[in-house]
Amino acid sequence: MTDDTRDHEGFWHRGKVTRRSVIGYGVSAGALGAAMLVPAPWQAAFGQAKPYKIGSLQPLSGAGAAGGKTALVGLQMAVDRINKAGGINGRPVEIVVADDESKPDVGRRKTEKLLVEDKVDAHVGGFLSNICLACMPVFEENKVVNMISVCLDTTLTTTKCNKYSFRVHDYAPSQAVAFAPELVKMGKKWHIAYADYSWGQSTKDAYADEIKKAGGEIVGTTGIPLGTADMTSFLSKISGNFDGLFGIFFGKDGVTIGNQAFDLGLTKKYKWAGDGAIAESTNLPALGSKIDGFIGINRYIPVLDPPFNTPSHKKFFDDAKARLSKIDSSNPDPDRYVQANYEAMNALKIGMEKSKFRGREDTDKLIGALEGLEMKEGDDFPQGDKTLRKEDHQAFLRQVIAEVRGGKYKVLKVIDKDKTVFPPACKFT
Amino acid sequence: MASVLTFFTEFPFELFVIQTLNGIVTGMILALIASGLTLIFGIMDVVNFAHGELFMLGAYMGVIVLSTTGSFWLALILATLIVALFGAAMQIVTLRPLVGRDPLTTILATFGVSLILQNYALWQFGPVARKINEPYTGHFNLFYLEYPWYRLVIAGLSAALIGGFWLFLKHGKFGIWIRATMQDRVMAQAMGIPVPLVHTAAFAIGAGMAAASGVLFGPLVGVNHTMGLDWVLKAFIVVVVGGMGNLGGSIAAAIFISLLESYAAIWVSPAQAVIVSFIVLIFTLLFRPTGLFVPTPK
Repeated sequence: MTDDTRDHEGFWHRGKVTRRSVIGYGVSAGALGAAMLVPAPWQAAFGQAKPYKIGSLQPLSGAGAAGGKTALVGLQMAVDRINKAGGINGRPVEIVVADDESKPDVGRRKTEKLLVEDKVDAHVGGFLSNICLACMPVFEENKVVNMISVCLDTTLTTTKCNKYSFRVHDYAPSQAVAFAPELVKMGKKWHIAYADYSWGQSTKDAYADEIKKAGGEIVGTTGIPLGTADMTSFLSKISGNFDGLFGIFFGKDGVTIGNQAFDLGLTKKYKWAGDGAIAESTNLPALGSKIDGFIGINRYIPVLDPPFNTPSHKKFFDDAKARLSKIDSSNPDPDRYVQANYEAMNALKIGMEKSKFRGREDTDKLIGALEGLEMKEGDDFPQGDKTLRKEDHQAFLRQVIAEVRGGKYKVLKVIDKDKTVFPPACKFT
Repeated sequence: MASVLTFFTEFPFELFVIQTLNGIVTGMILALIASGLTLIFGIMDVVNFAHGELFMLGAYMGVIVLSTTGSFWLALILATLIVALFGAAMQIVTLRPLVGRDPLTTILATFGVSLILQNYALWQFGPVARKINEPYTGHFNLFYLEYPWYRLVIAGLSAALIGGFWLFLKHGKFGIWIRATMQDRVMAQAMGIPVPLVHTAAFAIGAGMAAASGVLFGPLVGVNHTMGLDWVLKAFIVVVVGGMGNLGGSIAAAIFISLLESYAAIWVSPAQAVIVSFIVLIFTLLFRPTGLFVPTPK
């Protein structure tokens, strides 16, 4: 007879019931009961089928947390929809979320944990470009597919590309190809103000090249460090004879430049254009009327006008809005971070189905299925058609040029995905 | 001689004037934040890592009051009072039990509070940044720029709040208690000053000043859960350069560092200009660790 058995007998027969033993047994019984009574969300529909584990690195605390929160809404939407429709290859999908705390070193450590300890089958996520860059080699070392869902740094699919990483959304060179001719029609001479870190720098280079190719001129650039609360002393230097000010900022820096450039009269004196991230739907309430007249390029804006007047987009929009209202009482519209995470997961689903993916042993087959993947506008891809290029794992998709006025977007021009193509500059090792 | 002449003929006087104004305005906001921080350190020897979050909380309170009442001034007053009360409660619950313990425990406690407040704000208010509308939207022409009157209002109000606080410290009964406690805590207690109450009140005043600066600065940036992070590091630099616990030194250091950064931005890139404050900090720690604006001990 073991000590354990004696203890049990003691509990029932000795009549010595202590408070500690009651609490201990109560907690154990409660935990066992809870485990038996509350199955994992997929168990009712999928029985004993082993779930696919999809890792997702997102900034859920620190400077990027606001964007990370909305990004996760998009991913969860896609996974819920997939599980409701029978999963992937008859197996449910489970997300394993890791918080990178908006720091590259933490992001790398958490990615290693996802791949080595949690043994995820694939990854969908990545928000801040410097974190994506830090984590790229980890996916290569562990031979796991990485669907980049927000990061925009150009080098992710050019000089620092690897065969395990795919970007299912656009990047700066293709946006610059699409937008530069329109910018030059607005004015020949441009000054670029940009967020001085990996994404901002690579995007600035892309626009400078394309504006010059389109016959325009860059008269100056101003790189402002990420998270600068008072940009006024840097913006005050922007002066002289040029036509337009082009901004490359996102998140709270987008709000800061929108407010402070207006306050100094720069957005009245010059044409005011930039990356659509400045006037992302989640930034509009804090920008108010100061962003009126801003013209930006974006793959996604939350409007129901053409080209987003499709039933698929309406369905996506309504579901995203309902979910976002649960995390923000201001009832925000979905932004491109929701859209990109939703579609990256759906692209992975199609790749897994095509390759009959069972687990990491089929990673090469999954890569083969994703390379050159054609994605058709519909419930999986409400933003529109996309092509995932084989040579660099970079997607090409439709772009929208829109003006912001009165807190609303007005679509000025739609640029077809074929007109956003930029030559590949990646060599897989 | 020729190079001196060239310097003066090519000297950007217009930009210099603009940057002087920018430096003073930024300096006054920083001074308001840092004076709360230095008060708390001076009286309690507590490095308050949650100070940035009190700034952020003040801005969110401003958003709530403004959306309810429509009055910016009421938002400024109520947000200051509410966060001051919160600061008092925070001091009683988290810091008072740690009095007399290793200073590291207070650093860990305030750091913990800062993480809780940041994540609470994200959970409570969500990821969408909020707006505080400024009470004045007018501009005046400053050379080639339109300069917003509101920035001058911020500088003026910050100066008024700091001036009022200085008068309170100098002439108010409670202010004298605070100064006495700052000078010698044990002797103050021996003289019958209720030191625990003074600690709580000083923390509440510091929190209120952070909240007021959050409401004042909110219209320029939008209100979000990480807005305090952008200021608190610089406020710590200011407190060290000004002399830990030295209120006048912190105000002088805030304006000095902000002016230096603004002037640096004339000739170097923004990324290099923001390094200036760190250079000043390093030189201060190397050559005058008691602070640049502290009288030399005789």
